[in-house]
Order: sequence, then C-alpha cells, then structure tokens
Amino acid sequence: MAVEAGSSAVTKSRAAASVRSSDRKSVGRVGRAVFFGFALFYFCVPMAAVLIYSFATRWTANVLPDGYTLDWWRATLADPRIQSAFFTSISLASLTAILDIAVVVPAAYWSRVRNARIRPVVEVAAAVPFALPYVVIAFGLMQFSGVVAPQFQGTFPLLVAGHSAIAFPFVYWAVDGAMAAAGIERLTETAEACGASPYQALMRVVLPNISAGLVTGGLLSFAASFGEFAMAQIIGRSLDTVPLWSAEMIRSYTDTAGSYNRLAVVTLLTFAVLFVLSALVVYWNRGQTVRLLPGAGASDQGGRQ
Amino acid sequence: MSGVSLVGVTKMYGAVKALDHVSVDVRDGELLALLGPSGCGKTTLLRCVAGLERPDRGSVEIGEADITVTPTRERPIGMVFQNYALFPNLTVRQNIAFPLEVRHRPRTEIDARVYELLDLVHLTEQGDRYPKQISGGQAQRCALGRALAPNPEVLLLDEPLSALDALVRGRLRDEIRRVQQLVGITAIYVTHDQSEAMAIADRVAVMNAGRVEQIAAPADLYDMPSTQFSAKFVGSRNAVELAVRNGQVGIPGSFQIDAPAGSNGHALAFFRPEDVKVSVGDDGPGMAARVELKIFLGATTRLHLVGEADGEPIALFGDLPSRRARQIGEGEMVRVDVDPDHVQAFPV
Amino acid sequence: MKMATLSRPYEKLGGLESTGGSAAPSPIARTRGWLAAWLPAIPLLLLVATCLIAPVVMLVWQSVTGMGETGLSLDLWFRVLGQHANQDAILTSLVLAAACATVTLVLGAPLAWMISRMLRGKRAFWLGLLNVSANFGGIGLAFAYMATIGTVGMLTLIVQGLGIGFEAPREGSMPALLMAYEYTNVPLFVLLTIPAMSILRDDWWEAAQVSSATRLVFWRRIGVPILSPFLLAGWLLIFTWTLGIYGIAYGLAGQSGATAVHLITLQIGSALQSDVLLGPGRAAILAVVLMLFASTSLVLYRLLLRRATRWL
Repeated sequence: MAVEAGSSAVTKSRAAASVRSSDRKSVGRVGRAVFFGFALFYFCVPMAAVLIYSFATRWTANVLPDGYTLDWWRATLADPRIQSAFFTSISLASLTAILDIAVVVPAAYWSRVRNARIRPVVEVAAAVPFALPYVVIAFGLMQFSGVVAPQFQGTFPLLVAGHSAIAFPFVYWAVDGAMAAAGIERLTETAEACGASPYQALMRVVLPNISAGLVTGGLLSFAASFGEFAMAQIIGRSLDTVPLWSAEMIRSYTDTAGSYNRLAVVTLLTFAVLFVLSALVVYWNRGQTVRLLPGAGASDQGGRQ
Repeated sequence: MSGVSLVGVTKMYGAVKALDHVSVDVRDGELLALLGPSGCGKTTLLRCVAGLERPDRGSVEIGEADITVTPTRERPIGMVFQNYALFPNLTVRQNIAFPLEVRHRPRTEIDARVYELLDLVHLTEQGDRYPKQISGGQAQRCALGRALAPNPEVLLLDEPLSALDALVRGRLRDEIRRVQQLVGITAIYVTHDQSEAMAIADRVAVMNAGRVEQIAAPADLYDMPSTQFSAKFVGSRNAVELAVRNGQVGIPGSFQIDAPAGSNGHALAFFRPEDVKVSVGDDGPGMAARVELKIFLGATTRLHLVGEADGEPIALFGDLPSRRARQIGEGEMVRVDVDPDHVQAFPV
Repeated sequence: MKMATLSRPYEKLGGLESTGGSAAPSPIARTRGWLAAWLPAIPLLLLVATCLIAPVVMLVWQSVTGMGETGLSLDLWFRVLGQHANQDAILTSLVLAAACATVTLVLGAPLAWMISRMLRGKRAFWLGLLNVSANFGGIGLAFAYMATIGTVGMLTLIVQGLGIGFEAPREGSMPALLMAYEYTNVPLFVLLTIPAMSILRDDWWEAAQVSSATRLVFWRRIGVPILSPFLLAGWLLIFTWTLGIYGIAYGLAGQSGATAVHLITLQIGSALQSDVLLGPGRAAILAVVLMLFASTSLVLYRLLLRRATRWL
C-alpha cells in the first residue's frame, strides 16, 4: 500500500526531506511574522498619526509636520470645556458600571442558586443590545421617555439608564462566567450548610470568588459607556461628553482654531483610557479570553461528555 | 519485516532531558509496552517514533529505513491516541476510511477494507454513527480501526485505555491484544499501569527520568527486577533497609544473602508479600513479629507485621491465603520467614 | 451541563407556601413565593423592560400608526420607503455590511486561529491590543482614520512624498468607511471566535498527520467543516454590528458633506436633527427596518450555532 511505497522512498531522500521540511517551517514562520507585523502596523499607525498630529504646528503638505509644539496639549488640558466633558464621561461611565453590577449580580446569582427560570429571560434580554443598533435603541428610548417621563428627556440620569441597558450584557457574561467557573452553586450550598443566610453567602462567599468577573464586567461596561456616541447624541443632547465634543470638533470643517489638533489630544487620551482598561481586563483574566458574546463561548460545551 | 529500532535518542525540553540516550529495539510482530510514571519520557519516545516530536540526537528506524527526519505523514505507522482523537464531523465508517481516502485508494478498495476493519473491531453496527453517539470503548475501537486501515508496519498506542472506566478497560485491553496478534503487527504501547503492561505486552520497557531502566518479558520483570526503580515500580514489594555485615545482609533468623556490589553500610532488600511465610507459634524458623493489622483482600489477606532486627523495628507486609489468615488474630505473635531466592538487594 | 447542579427552584419556597398547611396556597402566599423567586432579578428586568423592550415596542407601534396620528396604517411605510434616498441608504448599508463582514472573516479567521495557539504571555499581549481596538470606535476612530489615510493623512502624505500619484479615497466613501470599520471589526471578530478555535483539538491534527493527510487536506476535511458554522456565525454578528455602526460613519461622512454615502444609521441621525417635515416618522421606519435586518440575522446566528455544536 501507499505507506510501504512511502517508506522505501524515505531512506533515499532523508537529506532532501530534512531540507524540505525545515524550508517549509521557516516559510510558515516568515509568513506568520509578516502577518503579525502587518497587524501591529495596522494597530499602531493610526495612533502614531494622531500622536504626531497632536504635536504638529501645521501638517498639510509634507510627510512630516512643518513644526512641533506643546501648545495643543497645554491648551486642551487647560480648556474647561474639555475638562468638564471628561468629567461628565467618566462619571457617566462609572455610574453605568456601578448600576450594571448592582442589578446584574443579584439576578445572575439568583438564577444560579434559586430560580433557573431567570436565566432564559436574561439571556434573551442580553442579546437585544447586540441585535439592535444603539441608534435604534436610543431613538426608541427618546420616543418612549417623551411619552412617559418627558421631564427626563436629555438628562444625565436617562443617559445613565440607557448606557446601563446597552452595556449590561458585558457584565452579565463576565459575572455569569465567573460564577460558573467558581462553581457558585456548590459554594452556596456549603455556605448554607454552615448556617449562612443568602445575603451572607453572597457577600462573604460568592463575591470574593467572582472578583475577576466583576472587575472584567465593570471595566467592559465602563469602556462601552465611555466611548458611546449614538445614544449620547440622541438622548443626551444637552450634555457634553467626550464623544459629543469630538463630534463637534470633527464637523468643524475649517481647522482655524486648531480644532483637529485638540481633537488629536483628546483622541489620544481616550485611547489611553481604553488601553489602561484593556490592560486591566487582560491582567485580571490572566491572558484568558474574555467571553464577549452570546454563544461565542460554544467551547463551554466542547469536548465529549 | 519491520521492527523498530531507536538508537541513542535524546530529546530536550529547554533544560529538561525528556529522553536521555534511549536505545530500544522492538522486534518484528512484538508488542512492547513502555511503562513508567508520568513525565518519564514514555510518551515522548512514542511521539518520536510517530514523528510528532523530532529527537535532538539519535535515530529512529522502521525496518531498514531510517525515518528520523521523515514527516509523520510519510511514516508507515498507525496511531491510537489517549482521547481517541476521532474526527467529530465524520462517522465511524468515514473515520476509518479517512487514511485510505487521503491516499487516494480506489473507492471499491476503501469500502472493502472499511468493511473488513469494522468487522475486526466489532463496530459493524455502529458504522454510521458519529463519534459523539458512541461510547468511549467503541470510540477507541474505531480509533484502532482507523490506525490499522492503511496496513501500517507499526502500530503506536498512547495510553489508549486511560480515558475509559475500569470495566471497559480490561475488555478493550484484551481486544487490542487479540487484534494485534491477529494482524501480526509490531506495536508500541505506552501506559503507566503496570498490570496493563504485564497483561498485554510481549516485553515491557520500564522507563524512568528519560531512560530505559529494564526491558524484559512480564514474568521476568515481575520476578527479577534488575534495578531498584523497577523493583519499586512493578508490583508491590517490601522494601527493608538492612545493615551489611561481613558482606552479607539479612534478617536474623530468616534469610542471609550476599550484599550487593557497591553497598556500604546499608542495603535495601526487596521481596514480595506473597513470599513472606508466616507461621503461628513462638518457635520455628524466622523472625518473631507481631501482627499489627489484618486487611482482607478477598482471596488473600494482608498482614502488617512488625519484628525486630539488631534492635531496630522492621515493618513488613505478608500476604496469606485468607483461609489460613483466619487462624491468626491481630496482636498475636508469629514467626516470619523469607525465602532468600526471592530477595533482591540494592545498594542504598 | 451547567444546569445539572442547579438548585431546585421551588423546594425551598415550598416551605414558605405551605406554612398555612392547606393544600391550595393562598394568593398572598403565592405572591410571596413569586417574589422570593424573582425579587433579586427585578431591578435588572425593570431596566431591560423600560430601556430596551418598551422603546423598541414603541417604535414598532409608531411606525405602523403614522407616529400615532393615522391609526393602524402602513401609509408612513410606503411614503418613507418610496423615497429614493432611503432605498439607497438601505441598499448601501447592506452592501457595506456584507463587504465588511467578508473582509473581516478573511483577515480575522487566520488571526484568531494563530492567536488561539499562542502561549499565554504572548496571547495576553495580543488580546490586550485587540481589546483596545475592538472598543476604539466612534468619532475617535474617524479622526484617527483621517489623520492616517485621509486626504492629508500621514500615510497619504508619505506615499505622495515618495512621488506616487496616490489619491486617498474620500472620507465619506465606501472604501474609506470599510477601511475604518475594519479597525474595530477585525479585533471584535477575533475576540468572538477565539473561544471557538479551542474546539479544534491538537490531537485531531496529529491524527490526520498519522493518517498521512497534508495540512491542506486536514483543513479541507476536518478543520473547516468543524469551524465554518462558528465562522459564519461570526460573519453574521459582524454584519449585524456593521449595519448599526453610527459614530465612525458620522465622523467620516461629515467630511464629505453631500457626496458622502447614505447609510440607514446616518439617515436616522439626520432625520432626527434636520428633517422637520417627516423627521421622527422617517427615523422610526428606518429604525424598524434596521431592527428587522438585525433580528433576522441574529435568529440565523442562533440556528448556525446550534448546527455548529451538533458534533460536539
């Protein structure tokens, strides 16, 4: 059979085979390096461009700017409007993360230890922000609040609620995954066998064991809210968040007041915030993938049972 | 036709020597078991034969052909993996046909061969099931069929039974042996379970820390381990540290044997619990000992015995037929004797 | 699997209900039992109901009642969908989303595969980067795109500086949007599909090698059939996601003014801001259209995933 034919050919071509296989390996390695090099380039170049932009005096004709200055950074950081936009965005994102954790943890916990029927309801709800574009949700929320609570229209609390609604799935998947990993059902049973009340079990046994999930979920929902634009524009028009400020700058067609340079500074700051958040997420999960989307964790069911 | 010979195979993982100048000859048509604790290098050695690992030094030959650097897919081998490694998207039949289809055999030949193999591994009924629809034992039989499909010269088995329950394990072990002998194929079988190795192999190679300690037929290995490691690893044994006196070691009143070469001061004596003779009463041959504990094991009963030699307590196990052991109570004094022919001593 | 250890929902509540000792629990006891079963989930369910479900229902209702002015009628639908600009927006959005998802799949699948096979430290580094760019969207990305390959972007200037007659695509054009979208789409896709990549076990590749299969045969017969439903599901998610992108498009289209492409999301945004005549009505119809596309592809996504796990 083929195998035997193969093996007799083998002796003759030992040297050749060795060369061939090492060739093939190094081709693969080079290809991989090129691919990842390209990915890194793709990732870094826009940031480099923005960085240079933020230091440039004028940059329209030559490969590099005509001159460099720290003025944009100084002016931007001192601009009270930008300061207040950052303050608004950070409080918005923090409140969103806190509210999400506060509503999601009890629900996820209860669905695991007492009432399994909560789970399908929450899972369907968690798919909504992915199925429906934020523009749609925002517009619907605007119409709905106009009918039932017009006094809230365009206010900060409404935006917090809206952001919490679209960011809660991040918290839910992170927390629920952490609960599964920690085997929270058994922990709770053990705690109860030791005489703990459900509240004590939650605070002293469950929460310490899902801290990675809490942190991850909180950071992800913070990031989602911090960079969110569509909903902020539609239902928070009277507010001034970082994305709203950026939108105004990018649409100021004439670059007279150095608006693009200041936008470059703000974009870099936004990027830095995301970078820190992401580093924290990866650190807390020790390099494991964070499960982000419904069913994307199909590997949960992987392997033979 | 086609044995396997490994000569001076060395494999490093960083600074760790997974294989240290291993040389093994597997005879044509024989089943050689590689036995050892986890991390001893047995799986690495198997993977070197499969080409899934490349040795840093040494050579691997199958039959007359040196295959040290041959890519896996050009090697005349079949392999059975620990976790079956069946392709989940192919049925049992398609899994077995896979190596033949890859080789572009004609359809009629493939069908005939698959039919033959399904029969050989008793899976005729399950041919159209997917891997997730069959049991672990059936999955491993399918994997065996797939490995044998292209008529390889060597069959490699990497702990094929370790993912199965105890009950299935024994049956499948005998099944693998039956098929291997029927086909007459040279086979290398990796396991950490000594009774499995003894039951299935023509010869057993005991491995430890990247080296082969001993290669012997199961019965010889059982009776005469040639190194201290084999003595400890194969079967359960009493290991008693004894003082060397006048070039001899022994238990006073029981046995005396020549001290092993290279021992100074002390030596470790190994003997099996079933070679310990226990007799009731205060006199007779042997050492006086007290029965500390009796453990009923079915056909035999194991006694935990404590005696004394040179003012030092000696603890050992003795196995008796249960019917005899019934006459001995816990706490009783007995005489313990060991046949010197069954004792091996190694330097400490 | 997870369900196996789930608690018995009503055993414990049974104690509450049966305090009266009667066979049929009183309405009060039943309410208390219900509360004990659902209370901790109520804040979340309230949030979802008021901020996700009710708004969506409201939109659908408004779209079929002419914003509450005509009674039940599809009149508004016909008027809005009859407008050429809206038809154009719908078509363009679909084409752009499909093109984006396809490019994402082609680039993202091999990337996800390679990252999934990395050692932990290296993988953590890449996951960190991907996480950043997957979350970096909106106006910031639009600006970064302009600064890089916009008409006076850095790369554009470099290429032109080399004496190559290169003209960057206009910011509001399809190719420009596609390139900008990929900055977040590829990382998002990779993050989504890496878990699925772990389904492909290393010993399958080894078993294939032992069976004499080449890498190509392995991928064609084993790897791709097993992964393809997951990859297609990823395609659908990116498709859906791209349909809904607003911020990047808003930032970039603003640069091209009237020559920018029409997209559903942009139309909704501009209808809300400027179109006094048909404004909210037009936005509502387009929002419901977007919703229909998105939910259809989400249903397909679910079906695909069920298919994907049938062998596992």
